[in-house]
Amino acid sequence: MHRFRIPWSLFPVFRHSLRHAGTPRAVLVGSSWPAKMAAPAVKAARAWSGLALGLRNAVLRLPGLTQVRWSRYGPEYKDPHIDKEYYRKPLAELTEEENYERELRKTQLIKAAPATKTCSVFEDPVISKFTNMMMKGGNKVLARSLMTQTLEAVKRKQFEKYHAASAEEQATIERNPYTIFHQALKNCEPVIGLVPILRGGHFYQVPVPLGDRRRRFLAMKWMITECREKKHRRMLMPEKLSHELLEAFHNQGPVIKRKHDMHKMAEANRALAHYRWW
Amino acid sequence: MRERSGTPNLHELDAGHFLHTGSQAPQNLAAHLDNQVPVESPRAVSRTSESDPAKHGEQHEGQHYNIPLQDLKAVFPHGLPPRFVMQVKTFNEACLMVRKPALELLHYLKNTNFAHPAVRYVLYGEKGTGKTLSLCHIIHFCAKQDWLILHIPDAHLWVKNCRNLLQSTYNKQRLDQPLEASIWLKNFKTANERFLSQIKVQEKYVWNKRESTEKGSPLGEVVEQGITRVRNATDAVGIVLKELKRQSSSGIFHLLVAVDGVNALWGRTTLKREDKSPIAPEELALIYNLRKMVKNDWHGGAIVLTLSQTGSVFKPRKAFLPQELLGKEGFDTLDPFIPILVSNYNPKEFESCIQYYLENNWLQHEKAHTEDGKKELLFLSNTNPGQLERLCAYL
Repeated sequence: MHRFRIPWSLFPVFRHSLRHAGTPRAVLVGSSWPAKMAAPAVKAARAWSGLALGLRNAVLRLPGLTQVRWSRYGPEYKDPHIDKEYYRKPLAELTEEENYERELRKTQLIKAAPATKTCSVFEDPVISKFTNMMMKGGNKVLARSLMTQTLEAVKRKQFEKYHAASAEEQATIERNPYTIFHQALKNCEPVIGLVPILRGGHFYQVPVPLGDRRRRFLAMKWMITECREKKHRRMLMPEKLSHELLEAFHNQGPVIKRKHDMHKMAEANRALAHYRWW
Repeated sequence: MRERSGTPNLHELDAGHFLHTGSQAPQNLAAHLDNQVPVESPRAVSRTSESDPAKHGEQHEGQHYNIPLQDLKAVFPHGLPPRFVMQVKTFNEACLMVRKPALELLHYLKNTNFAHPAVRYVLYGEKGTGKTLSLCHIIHFCAKQDWLILHIPDAHLWVKNCRNLLQSTYNKQRLDQPLEASIWLKNFKTANERFLSQIKVQEKYVWNKRESTEKGSPLGEVVEQGITRVRNATDAVGIVLKELKRQSSSGIFHLLVAVDGVNALWGRTTLKREDKSPIAPEELALIYNLRKMVKNDWHGGAIVLTLSQTGSVFKPRKAFLPQELLGKEGFDTLDPFIPILVSNYNPKEFESCIQYYLENNWLQHEKAHTEDGKKELLFLSNTNPGQLERLCAYL
């Protein structure tokens, strides 16, 4: 999404000048997707980041714009190393570079590790991301419990199928909820997406190859919206989500259909592909 | 033949852990001989083929024994914890771990003197330690020994969220609970079919102008009356309890009174009358009759009770001791009783539980098979059986 996120490589100057207050990304309160339309304001804000602090704050106190997702850490802060094996290595075994790196880190400033990142063997970044996307109002406890109940529901359904199946089919039935989850999301990722590009006063939907992150995001977003909206009022999220995940695992179901619709629209708008300049 | 889980790193398992790996040779041999697991390698043993609770002893501690599914339906129409029921459905088998508190209770029950008044045993412990499943183990034992099981699965269900309270016809001061009573009667009938025709009622009971039960008719008729005429269900329950108490001393049958969540009988209820005034437990006919049952003024059986904070009303979350949960009134009524503490798994039981899950391929996460994964499970669950079950459910 070139218009709404400026890669840092294009503005090396700005990174240093942002030492004191980090990189504010102003977003409209209360909305996420349409907030990206505040891009021009954001761009302007970044362009002015060389200005005095007071002026910048005035810009960002525009009505409806609050700063979210900014990092208070300057560029000198390094990411923490969350890995038990790294710290368990006895000093004798370290190579020259590793020794040097260890000594260096003793003097460097290190960011605090986020609460969700643990050195647990059961941690999975995809599951964490999905849980965060399911979370509403900061209620991580609820989101996590829904996630665990979903995984349990998927497992129990697969076990039932396993016990009901014959010996040959048993080899094909996958019972690990984590592989099912990963495979389902992978199956839901679109390959190509549509981007609105302004030409001659009109917005045209132009087919564009999507990056990895955008694809993963879209897959998870579609899954969650589908499960929130298209279910019976009394049906619980884990039940619906487990059902959708199993269908997506077998390349069926509404989320896969949405992915195919996206592909078809991109195919239909193939003529507009030359509007893309990157 | 179920597919065994991948390579569960047996060598690391056996190195530091407390399972049968040669330390007590003769018992070990005996345990091995009656085991389903072949003895080629010193595997961790989590199952035993001894499915009669009467023969469970010290050597079976920490091992799972199998209850056939037909027995399960016959002995436990109600009373199993809901998560255990889900586990039975998923695994297609019901396996219960043999643990110390249950073994202790079995020992006492085997040596009961039926001429003495019924002894009260109270299972207490923190949340999730296995009190209800220990109670189920005892009930299975008594069912195999052909005792009459009077099992109230959860007394808390009778003191909260009850609709349709009727004023009792027998005693104007008390209140009836037709729904709960009729459900309980149905389950009681399923569990004790064979006794209902043998035991005869010793009094005439008049239900209303047209219906009455004559003296000498089988108890089954009273139960039927309670199930069909829901209005009289509570009175039917009261009659059943009274008759069983009276006749248990005669020696035809041994009576086991098993109540889960007995702290509901004393304390408060969440029920209110139409004028919003609170109802005390003794004003409910079911509770009143059950309290009489739990007194030790009869002989010919035993009373096994379980305390439970989980379903309780107006009790703090951390309370688990008898004094805290029963309150002064309850404690004084139950005094004297034999308290039996049910605690978290010891390392051997923990390993056995993990092994059982691995054998059933329940732990699907690849890291769960490793030593690190096991250590993490131990830490996260704090060896609490309930927590461990919930953790392993999604791993």
